Amino acid sequence: MQVSFILLSLAAIGALAFVTARHRAIASVGGDARRLHSLPIYYGLNGSIMALVPALALLVAWMLVQPLFLDGAIRSDLSDSVLPEGSAMGLVVSDVRRVAEGLESGPLAQSFIAGDFADATPEEVGRMLVRGGTALGAPLTRPVLDAAMEYRTTSRTLRWIMGIAVLAVAVIGAAVAIHRSEGSYRARNVVETGMLGLLMVSASIAILTTLGIVMSMLFETANFFSQYPFTRFFFNTTWQPSFSGRGGASELGILPLLWGTLYISLIALIVAVPIGLFSAIYLSEYAGRAFRSVAKPTIEILAGIPTIVYGLFALITVGPLLRDAIASPLGLGNSASSVMTAGLVMGIMLIPFVSSLSDDIINAVPQAMRDGSLGLGATKSETIRMVIVPAALPGIVGAVLLAASRAIGETMIVVLGAGAAARLDLNPFEAMTTVTVKIVSQLTGDTDFNSPETLVAFALGLTLFVITLGLNVLALFIVRKYREQYE
Amino acid sequence: MNDMRHVERTVRVDTTKITARDVQVFYGDTHAIRNVSVDIPDKTVTAFIGPSGCGKSTFLRCLNRMNDTISVARVEGRIEIDGEDIYDRRVDPVQLRAKVGMVFQKPNPFPKSIYDNVAYGPRIHGLARDRADLDGIVEKALRRAALWAEVKDRLSAAGTGLSGGQQQRLCIARAVATSPEVLLMDEPCSALDPIATDQVENLIHELRENYSVVIVTHSMSQASRVSQKTAYFHLGELVEYGETGQIFTNPQDERTENYITGRIG
Repeated sequence: MQVSFILLSLAAIGALAFVTARHRAIASVGGDARRLHSLPIYYGLNGSIMALVPALALLVAWMLVQPLFLDGAIRSDLSDSVLPEGSAMGLVVSDVRRVAEGLESGPLAQSFIAGDFADATPEEVGRMLVRGGTALGAPLTRPVLDAAMEYRTTSRTLRWIMGIAVLAVAVIGAAVAIHRSEGSYRARNVVETGMLGLLMVSASIAILTTLGIVMSMLFETANFFSQYPFTRFFFNTTWQPSFSGRGGASELGILPLLWGTLYISLIALIVAVPIGLFSAIYLSEYAGRAFRSVAKPTIEILAGIPTIVYGLFALITVGPLLRDAIASPLGLGNSASSVMTAGLVMGIMLIPFVSSLSDDIINAVPQAMRDGSLGLGATKSETIRMVIVPAALPGIVGAVLLAASRAIGETMIVVLGAGAAARLDLNPFEAMTTVTVKIVSQLTGDTDFNSPETLVAFALGLTLFVITLGLNVLALFIVRKYREQYE
Repeated sequence: MNDMRHVERTVRVDTTKITARDVQVFYGDTHAIRNVSVDIPDKTVTAFIGPSGCGKSTFLRCLNRMNDTISVARVEGRIEIDGEDIYDRRVDPVQLRAKVGMVFQKPNPFPKSIYDNVAYGPRIHGLARDRADLDGIVEKALRRAALWAEVKDRLSAAGTGLSGGQQQRLCIARAVATSPEVLLMDEPCSALDPIATDQVENLIHELRENYSVVIVTHSMSQASRVSQKTAYFHLGELVEYGETGQIFTNPQDERTENYITGRIG
């Protein structure tokens, strides 16, 4: 039974349950909806919820468990003797699954069902499958083909059982809800619980996803450190991965990358924080309503520009300009990609973050603070400098740290603006690179996935994650600690 | 209104501190104050009373040009302090506000230490020669605001950590630290409990020795307790102005009488 068919049937049952439960509730009080405990719509919603929620939960659980169960079944079917020499059980199992899928839904499915292959050899079936778009790890053999046929039959049967079970649960749920729909039943409270459940599920999905990301990073990082020493990763000052073919051991020290990341982020913040903060102060304290209504969205457009566009701007305009105007005449280098280029452009990108957040925070400082200061004979700028900015400082610090997190995680501007050469250098007109750029370059290309050169990307990613997490926690801490000073 | 201690009704000094003539205030298209003319004497407490929205706070804010900070507000007419037109183009509103201090309805200490709150004005206007001088100014202001005994051991604690009554007295100390000549108070006790109110009222009595105090209040008993002169505002007009005792015992205008006896407002 197709899943789409099950979902359609569920929708129909849900709709039917809604209408019937609502109707029955109204009928139970003789058509006078005022005598119901809840509004009629709650009885309908209760019917739908009771019909759909358990059925959908069963469907999801079944679809998660079925593949595991089938894999187990294949493994016990295929004894070790049928394994081709030198191949692992996992590969054979996935071949079986692919063959079964090819037979089920590939271009061959129709002729297969018609029994055309009854006499064909496994090799012929294999060739036909490959022509039909199925990728095979090894030439098809008789035991694998048999297992695939078995797999296909079992899976079809299980699908049918699943469909019947799910629909049965839906019908039972709907029947219970409809039976309960009488005037005194508290349908509104049940729907309230249902809403709570929905919100909780949404919240836990976000949290579980984060956990999942961290866990996958942790596993791969642990894998990396089993192949590459911990101390060399953190304390080695050279970054020189050697890819297969070049030979020799890799030098995978994070320090040059970390240095590049922090250097570029620092320049970006030096550009973004004063400009962003001053424009926020101008917009919130001095600008008239008309100017503000134009200027604020305009600044925020900057935040909507994709970073690759900033990268192009760095590559084509800022880089050559800096080289020709400053670096070459001063003898500081003749590279168009430089830390300065990436930092400046990234700073421009961060201006709207700093200014928009700071603007909100400055606006949140109570008017009483301004009145108090002005009433003592302070000028506007004295008021801003001595009262408003100090009062808004925790929020501004939070905004700056958020901007820093963005700067540290930025990739495209760095690739196009600062190049990809890992280097420990103080000269801001030299090309350098960052952690994120190296993660991309280590994971792309034709490399062995199980080598330290590739796995190092996860260690780099985790380090970056820890740094930005630390910054975010610090930002939250500062904001919380000083938040309620003026109240 | 059981507590009608009509203390010290006589105005000791006859010199006029503030003179207002035909003052009009507009908020955009709203005519908030109409034709207000009043003479406020020196070293006296003058109370502005009247129902909400009658313009008494607006008029108070004209006296130190705080209405300038509201972009839609426009003031016409003539207001003089010591014979000098404060709306003259040569007058710097910032300097004016140092001379005419203001205390607001809700205590609004800055999120700084108690010391820095009081030292704020003197620092801005460069009133202290050195640190010791500033210490002296802060202590004097806190003593005058009857707060010194309570805070002298924790001057570096946050001003926002004080109780509501203490915060309002801190704001008064902050205002008197710049040695103003006039002190404007916009419902200074409306956010305070009766005990804190009593302390602030006692303070107003003492401040009268040195300053001309103008207080806006919703409490008629407060007006009768603390003030020597009372002005009754109604719908943007100054209805009646005179000795507090006379306003409360023998009002000339029917609207004043209705308000004071509790028939309206």
